[in-house]
Amino acid sequence: MELFFRYVRENWVDLLVFTGQHIMMVLIGLLLALVVGIPLGIMASRNRASARIILTVANIIQVFPSLALLVLLMVAFGLGTTTVVVGLFLYSLLPVIRNTYVGLTQVDKSTMEAGKGVGMSPLQIMLQVQLPLALPFMLTGIRIAAVIAIGVATIAPLVGGDGLGREIYSGINMNNSARLYAGAIPAAILALLADLALERLQNATRVAGR
Amino acid sequence: MKHREAPTRIKGQAIRVSSALLIFAVIAVCALLSGCGNSNRIIIGTQTFSEPKIIANMYKLLIEDRTDMKVKVMPDLATSTVVLDALTNDDIQMASLYSGIILDNYFPIERTNDRASILRQAQEGFDKHYGLKWFDSYGFENTYAFTVRKELAEKEQLHQISDVKDKAQSMRLGVDTSWLERAGDGYADFQKVYGITFGKVYPMEVALVYNAIATNKMDIVVAYSTDARLKEYELVTLEDDKHFFPPYDASPVIRKEVLEAHPELQEVIDLLIGKLDAKTVIDLNYEVDVNKRNEKKVAEEYLKRIGLLK
Repeated sequence: MELFFRYVRENWVDLLVFTGQHIMMVLIGLLLALVVGIPLGIMASRNRASARIILTVANIIQVFPSLALLVLLMVAFGLGTTTVVVGLFLYSLLPVIRNTYVGLTQVDKSTMEAGKGVGMSPLQIMLQVQLPLALPFMLTGIRIAAVIAIGVATIAPLVGGDGLGREIYSGINMNNSARLYAGAIPAAILALLADLALERLQNATRVAGR
Repeated sequence: MKHREAPTRIKGQAIRVSSALLIFAVIAVCALLSGCGNSNRIIIGTQTFSEPKIIANMYKLLIEDRTDMKVKVMPDLATSTVVLDALTNDDIQMASLYSGIILDNYFPIERTNDRASILRQAQEGFDKHYGLKWFDSYGFENTYAFTVRKELAEKEQLHQISDVKDKAQSMRLGVDTSWLERAGDGYADFQKVYGITFGKVYPMEVALVYNAIATNKMDIVVAYSTDARLKEYELVTLEDDKHFFPPYDASPVIRKEVLEAHPELQEVIDLLIGKLDAKTVIDLNYEVDVNKRNEKKVAEEYLKRIGLLK
């Protein structure tokens, strides 16, 4: 315990940098997943056949063990942060797509009819009726994706990536539990914080949307 | 009224949030890409244990201090083979490697246990087949070493392996399980070369041998020559007077085209050549492995102490 505090006191600057790198990797992966996943979710919600293909592919990606996926990606992208970000992106895809899809398809038919009734174009219905109503669901997806991504990002060092996993792996490899905790505790706190923050955002949209 | 207001407000918010995120993403991706494509930056890869990590951080400090290049350290690459692959793929540009690695058949070599010859073959072979510049050694090797307690070494006047010959029958030997069965440099060949057979042999996990000898459960063990626990438990290594173990001299290795593009690196790399002996490395490893400190701090303190860094 004393070793842990001494280690953190001596190396807090590095730990902050690792935390920053960790957050960056997760954010970039997540944002890419949103940019790609939301349109795919919308596509899936409009047509049954495409829904089946899109969701199946996303499911297959998701069930791949994270370590295997990262190592496969490493063959293509080499050692480094890029490989990790692509991995996090792929891992975040399914929660985003599925929840966008579920959110959009649960919108009551009559609500959409009403939109049509007041003369809205299909695009307007999507942007002003369906998507706002699907927002709480989509946030659930983002929340799940964020928590998974923060966890998966800790194995980044295996493919040459940075982040808090650096300290965890050094701790394991060099038999230094103080160091292991110095990486693991901030990572756990990050996951909890992300979960809490997104939960609040989710509640806010639910209240507003009602 | 309320019904119309709510969705618009959310929409406005959503647009603001998403555009902010999008801008952030673009900036982040740019930063990421510019970081990778910078030719003024090199990455030093390291294995998972302490000494290559400490040395990589020394070079980072020295290179950033004396040139305008930036250095990133990529630690915890699983094995020396992974490090070599990463060098070949240009994922990293520099690393520390051990000359005995050539015994793993990277290219045809002439089998010998002569230190100078192994080092020279590594330098020539990796230059020719891999485009790597393999420098002379830092001045230490990390190989198997027969090790005894200091007090026993003093009492029995043990300095080299041949000295234990007369007492071997009454000695308990603790060794790494795999070493017992290894062909070439295992126990069977050892017995042939030195003509020494120990009274009792206890195979165990290599990490356990240090504690076993320190607590007097063993009289002699085969350990790693730069392990910090040699210092922690006051153990003495015996000289391999018949050159039985293959030499594993540590050297800096860099991609040749990086050195050609940045000739100023040569001078900086030379600063540590021949400057790190086994005792120094054990001391440095001790700080990291036993005192549980960060290798960056240990590297910086050492360079300041010997005056290479202000």
